[in-house]
Amino acid sequence: MNSLVDRFSTTSAQSEIRRAQALAADDEEFSDAAWGSEAGFGSLAKGVPTFSVPSIADPSAFLRLHTDDHADPNCRIKIQHGTTTLAFRFKGGVIVAVDSRATAGSYIASGTVKKVIEINPYLLGTMAGGAADCQYWETYLGIHCRLHELRNRERISVSAASKYLSNLVYGYKGMGLSMGTMICGWDKTRCRVPAVFYVDSDGTRLKGDLFSVGSGSTHAYVSTAAGHRDAFSGNTCNLYHIKEDGWHFIGNYDISKMHYDGPGDVPGGPGKGYGYDIRVEGRSSANPPPVAT
Amino acid sequence: MSIMDQNGGSVIAMVGKDCVAIASDLRLGNQALGVSSNFQKIFPVTDRIYLGLPGLATDVTTLKERFRFRVNMYTIKEEREIEPETFAHLVSSTLYEHRFGPYFCEPVMAGLSKTPSGGYKPFIAATDLIGCLNFAKDFVVAGTASEKLFGVAEGLWEPDLEPEDLFETISQTLMNAVDRDAYSGWGCVVHVLTKDKVITRTLKGRMD
Amino acid sequence: MQHVAVPHAQPQQRQFNPYSENGGTILAIAGANFSVIAGDTRQSEGYSIQTRYAPKVFRLTDKAVLATNGFAADGNMFVKKVRQRLEWYRHAHAKDMPLRAIARLIQTMLYARRFFPYYVYNILGGIEEDGSGAVYSFDPVGSYEREACRAAGAASSLVQPFLDNQIYFKNQTPAPGTTHPAHLPLSHVLSLVIDSFTSATERHIEVGDGLEIYVVLAKGSALQGLDAIQGLSELTTTDDGERMFVIRRNLKRD
Repeated sequence: MNSLVDRFSTTSAQSEIRRAQALAADDEEFSDAAWGSEAGFGSLAKGVPTFSVPSIADPSAFLRLHTDDHADPNCRIKIQHGTTTLAFRFKGGVIVAVDSRATAGSYIASGTVKKVIEINPYLLGTMAGGAADCQYWETYLGIHCRLHELRNRERISVSAASKYLSNLVYGYKGMGLSMGTMICGWDKTRCRVPAVFYVDSDGTRLKGDLFSVGSGSTHAYVSTAAGHRDAFSGNTCNLYHIKEDGWHFIGNYDISKMHYDGPGDVPGGPGKGYGYDIRVEGRSSANPPPVAT
Repeated sequence: MSIMDQNGGSVIAMVGKDCVAIASDLRLGNQALGVSSNFQKIFPVTDRIYLGLPGLATDVTTLKERFRFRVNMYTIKEEREIEPETFAHLVSSTLYEHRFGPYFCEPVMAGLSKTPSGGYKPFIAATDLIGCLNFAKDFVVAGTASEKLFGVAEGLWEPDLEPEDLFETISQTLMNAVDRDAYSGWGCVVHVLTKDKVITRTLKGRMD
Repeated sequence: MQHVAVPHAQPQQRQFNPYSENGGTILAIAGANFSVIAGDTRQSEGYSIQTRYAPKVFRLTDKAVLATNGFAADGNMFVKKVRQRLEWYRHAHAKDMPLRAIARLIQTMLYARRFFPYYVYNILGGIEEDGSGAVYSFDPVGSYEREACRAAGAASSLVQPFLDNQIYFKNQTPAPGTTHPAHLPLSHVLSLVIDSFTSATERHIEVGDGLEIYVVLAKGSALQGLDAIQGLSELTTTDDGERMFVIRRNLKRD
């Protein structure tokens, strides 16, 4: 009898303990992972990570109010945004090219951002939208790709990996995540072809041959053009080539230097820069064509 | 999005030893989209006064013509060239005439004013968009990169720089400031005014 | 007893605004075998100064220092939680967490609050396991990057382009036949830090009062002229590991 009262009572000492235990179990800080070295990803054993959400009617409106610098440039928390990313499939694999600029409002917060996330030696993910969203979830995807390998004794396909990511972020739809990414790789086991998938935080997942994502995407068919024209793109270009044996980092190119000097001695290239003068030469009296001598 | 940031662009002016310098970027944009890399924002008013007009591009061109008209009227009426101090007040009162519907420009001017002894004294000034004058003794800045310009200029500027050193200081200040601003850049132009000549140089800046 | 008529024409709506902005600036520069992490000590809200001495730079371990900027309450709580996690790590592994692991830890801790962010800009400085100086910078929700130098906070847009010019030699052409140095000597870095803060104090109202510069030296490296700096005190606890110093200076108080 006494035990029954205890179990349902809301005032007894036992219920106080119960409440404290429930609180402790809720709090991510008290999870077992916190004690070890799993750096927060340890909670993975129990499913997806947990997030603190403010106890108010509309948490996503709260987040938008404080972090959306497009709607309100004076908002307090300026989350870094990424911009121009490009990837395409061809006979020899996949080419991935991204810029390296991160802006917070009109301020160029960084010119050295790594917008290609090396998920594992065979998979690359690109970063556009919220930098933290892409970094975190693609790292997290990397963990799961490795677990897939351990469980199934074969590499995860690009399709499966991208679907994993897509399903993950779809679970947070409408909560304010912002990411537009391309998952690129070369399937070794099944179809043995290079593949590019576009995944975004709205839940879109598309298979395709060529994508460009970000504010500079409309100009991104030549990545120097995006770096040149778009104020939110630029600084340097990171170039990757995915072959059958995994990805290879080709190089880091200064976009401004390419603008002046051209891409170098590339077959089919102009061999010189894309400068303003070259394009408008002879169009006005201010910039006459060279006089024939 | 402020209308002052619509087209982008920045101007800075600095005082040196018996010389002044004024410099600007060359970008004209439509928000994030770059449109021109040869949009001049600095205009000669007399041989010894240069005026920089960062802000909304349509007002830049309108104000340029308006000041040209007013300075010409002054020259005809007074039968002498306008002095930098006088011109600064002309700029101020022209802008204040539009107190409740302002031009979206923050003029920066640099000049050499005549002293009673026949020499020349460096002069710089800037105003806000309704004409509040700021006569600084070191440097003045305006435009979308103004915060960045303040930071670098405060670190690099020192008193009594010779013309060539002043050129280097203002160039480095401008180039490094606009490289951190999404709405300024695409090349720079620098004018150094000395008592007997004006040195104008176009700088090859980052094009992204 | 008189009844007061309460007007109730419109329902009232209140916004949940738990954040404030407390000004100040932080800055970190990595050298070949040292790392310098600095911050001013003014804490303000709007135009009023709350205190002239509120540290923004915190020692985490013998070789890691964390600088926080933004909303002071969030910053202090965040540092407290990071320290708690580092202590747990010490108990589990009987050693300090390496710097790059601290960086990843900070990312996951910040991202755990993705939907209720800490309004804090973090810069982590210290010595990597290979003995090199390192700086990691974070945005409020945990995107991070290893860099050679970084300024954050109220005057970051004033200081960062100056550092681009003086540390990375941006827009400077080396004299023919020479190259720019990859790493600057400690004494040079310290004078750049002091210049940056005096400049920021001059032009930004939220920066001033005091300056705290933490210096972490890699295991076995020389003092590199540090002993000649005024206002220096040593914080090192062990005699065979990294050495840590703090330099306290005054900044203008107006």
